[in-house]
Amino acid sequence: MDAIKIQLPHTVQPRAENANDGAVSRTMQPIVTGTSVVAFKYKDGIMMAADTLASYGSLARFRSEKRLMAVGDNTLVGVSGDLSDFQYMQHVLEDLETRELCMDDDQTLGTKSVYKYISNIMYNRRTKVDPLWNSYVVAGLDHDEKFLGFVDLYGTRYQSPTIATGFGAHLAQPILRKRVEGREDEIEEEEALAILDDCMRVLFYRDARSFNKLRRAKVTAQGVEISEPYSLETNWDFAESIVGYGG
Amino acid sequence: MDFAQFQQAPVSVPTEHHSHGNRWDPYVDNGGTSLAIAGEDFVVVASDTRQSNGYSINSRYSPKAFELSNGSVLATTGYHADALKLVEHIEQRAQLYFHKHDRAMNVSAMAQMLSGILYSKRFFPYYVFPILSGLDAKGKGAVYTYDPVGNMERVNYQAYGSASALVQPFLDSQVGFKNQRNADPSRLLERPQAVKLAIDAFTGATERDIHTGDWLDLFIIDQDGIHQTKRELKHD
Amino acid sequence: MSIMEYNGSAVVAMVGKNCVAIAADKRLGQRALTVDMNFQKVFPITDRTAEERIIEPKTFSNLVSHMLYERRFGPYFVEPVIAGLDKDNKPFVGTASDNLFGMCESLWEPDLEPEELFETISQALLNAVDRDAMSGWGAVVHVITKDGVITRDLKGRMD
Repeated sequence: MDAIKIQLPHTVQPRAENANDGAVSRTMQPIVTGTSVVAFKYKDGIMMAADTLASYGSLARFRSEKRLMAVGDNTLVGVSGDLSDFQYMQHVLEDLETRELCMDDDQTLGTKSVYKYISNIMYNRRTKVDPLWNSYVVAGLDHDEKFLGFVDLYGTRYQSPTIATGFGAHLAQPILRKRVEGREDEIEEEEALAILDDCMRVLFYRDARSFNKLRRAKVTAQGVEISEPYSLETNWDFAESIVGYGG
Repeated sequence: MDFAQFQQAPVSVPTEHHSHGNRWDPYVDNGGTSLAIAGEDFVVVASDTRQSNGYSINSRYSPKAFELSNGSVLATTGYHADALKLVEHIEQRAQLYFHKHDRAMNVSAMAQMLSGILYSKRFFPYYVFPILSGLDAKGKGAVYTYDPVGNMERVNYQAYGSASALVQPFLDSQVGFKNQRNADPSRLLERPQAVKLAIDAFTGATERDIHTGDWLDLFIIDQDGIHQTKRELKHD
Repeated sequence: MSIMEYNGSAVVAMVGKNCVAIAADKRLGQRALTVDMNFQKVFPITDRTAEERIIEPKTFSNLVSHMLYERRFGPYFVEPVIAGLDKDNKPFVGTASDNLFGMCESLWEPDLEPEELFETISQALLNAVDRDAMSGWGAVVHVITKDGVITRDLKGRMD
C-alpha cells in the first residue's frame, strides 16, 4: 500500500524517498590529475612532452602514468587535468579507431578529424554541464601541413605554433614564444629537443605538481614516436644561495 | 557576465537536487572586439584575432569573424566555443534553405533566422554577441546586431566586445555624426573613410584594452564579393 | 555597484599647445536617480590667493596626492583631475571613463590650439557621456590659456 503523502507547507520540502533519486553525478573537481603538456612546431613536425606523474591533491600518487597517446597513424594527443576522464576519452578514441579500421576503406584518421572529434565531445559535455575535466593538445602532420591544436573543458579551442597547458601556460609558453614563434620551419630536431627539455626543466623546478620522469613525443612524416620515460639533468646548487625560509 | 542563471529553466526537474549554490559555470569570456560599418553599397567588418582567457593569451590568430556561404560575414565576440557552434548551426540551416529553395539566403532572411536560433536557446544561451553584415536585397550595406538571446536591430554601425565601451562612442561621433549640429546623422561613409575609421578604432582599442590586439581581420563586402585583408595590431 | 559609481559623472582634461582644457558633465545622481542636472564639478583653485603666491599645478597635484594617501584606509571616494598651465598630461575619470579613454585615444593629438582643443574635448565628452547612463545632462568646458580661462556650457542630451 502506498504511504500516505502529507502535504507540507511550501517552505518545508520533503526529502526524496531515495536519496539518489533525481541526483546526477558530475565531475565537480578533478581528483587524480596530470600537470602541464608542452608542445610546439619545428622543422620536421611537432614536438610534445608531459611528465608521468598522476597527483592526488598534493600527494604524488601514481608515478608512471602515460599522458601522451597516438591516435591513428599520424596524430598525437597530450592531456592534462583529471586522468580518469582522460582514460574515458582514451576508450572513446580507441573505439573510434576500431570503427574506422572496420570500415576497411583504406582511409586513415586525419589529425583534423581527431581534433574536431575531441572538440565536439568536450563541447557537448560542457553543454550538459558535465564536463570532462581536461585540456587536450592535438598534434599531427597531414602531408606537409603541420597541425597543433588545443581544446579544454569549456570546448574552447585554438591553434597555435606553440601550446602549453596548465602551469606550462605561465612558465613554458614565454620560453616557447621567444625561441619558437616565427621559426617553426627552421628549428632542427636537436634544437627542438633542447627547447623541450629546457621548458620541462623550468616546470620541474617551479611546478610543485611536476615530476622528473617524463616522456617526449614527436609527429613527423615517419609517424608518431613516443619515447620511454627519461629524466632531466638538474642542478640544485642555487638552493645554497637561498637565504630565509628553508635556507 | 554570469549566464548560469538562465540555466534555471522555469519548467525543470525539482530544484532541490540541483540548486547547489556553487555550480560549475559553463561559460568563459574569450575577449576581443568586433565592429561593422555599413556604406551605401558596401559594408566594412573588422575583428581582432586575439583569443584570451583571463590574463592569458591563448592564441594570437584565432579568427572570430566568419564568411558565411551566402556571402555575408558574421562577426562575433564573447564565448568562442559557442561562437563556433553558432556558426555551424547557422550554416546547417542555410544549407537546408539552399537545397529547399535552390538559392542562397538573402541577408535579411538570415538575420531573422539568426534571431530565432539565438532565442531558441533562451534558457541556455549562446554567450555570443553577433554582428551579421552583408548587402540587402537592394544592394545596400546592411548590419544586423544581436544580444545573446536574439534581440535584433538593423543599424548603420556597431561595435561589440571587450573594447566596445571604447569604440562605440567613437563610432557615434565619427560614423553617426552625433553631437554635430550641421551634420546629417543618416549620411553613410565612403569606403576609404569607413576602412580608415575601422582601423583607427582598433589601434585605439588595442592601446587601452588588454584583450584586444595581435591581428585585425578586415572584410569589405560589396557587389563583387568579400575582400579580406589582415593587418598587424600591437602584440602587447 | 561600486561606491565610485554612486553619484555618476565624467570628468576629462586635455593638454593642447600652450593651453589645457578641463571639462565635466552636469549630472549628479544617487545611483540611477538623477537629483541635479546642473551640478558643478570643476572648481578653480589658484584664484583663491590665501597666500601671496599662486600654487603651481604640479605642486597642487602632489598636495592632493598626499591628501588622498593620508586617507589610504578610509579613502575619499573621489577621483580628482587637475588641470593647469605648466604642464600636465591628459587624465580622465568618472563612470564614463572607458568611453572617455576610447574617445581620447582616437580624437586627441598633440599641440592642438585652444579652439581645436575645445572642439576635441567637447566631442570626446559628449559622445562618451551619451553612452553612459550615469553621466550627461549637459556639460561645461574650461579652456585655460595664458590670457585667461574660456568657459563654455555645452548642451547635451537630457536622457
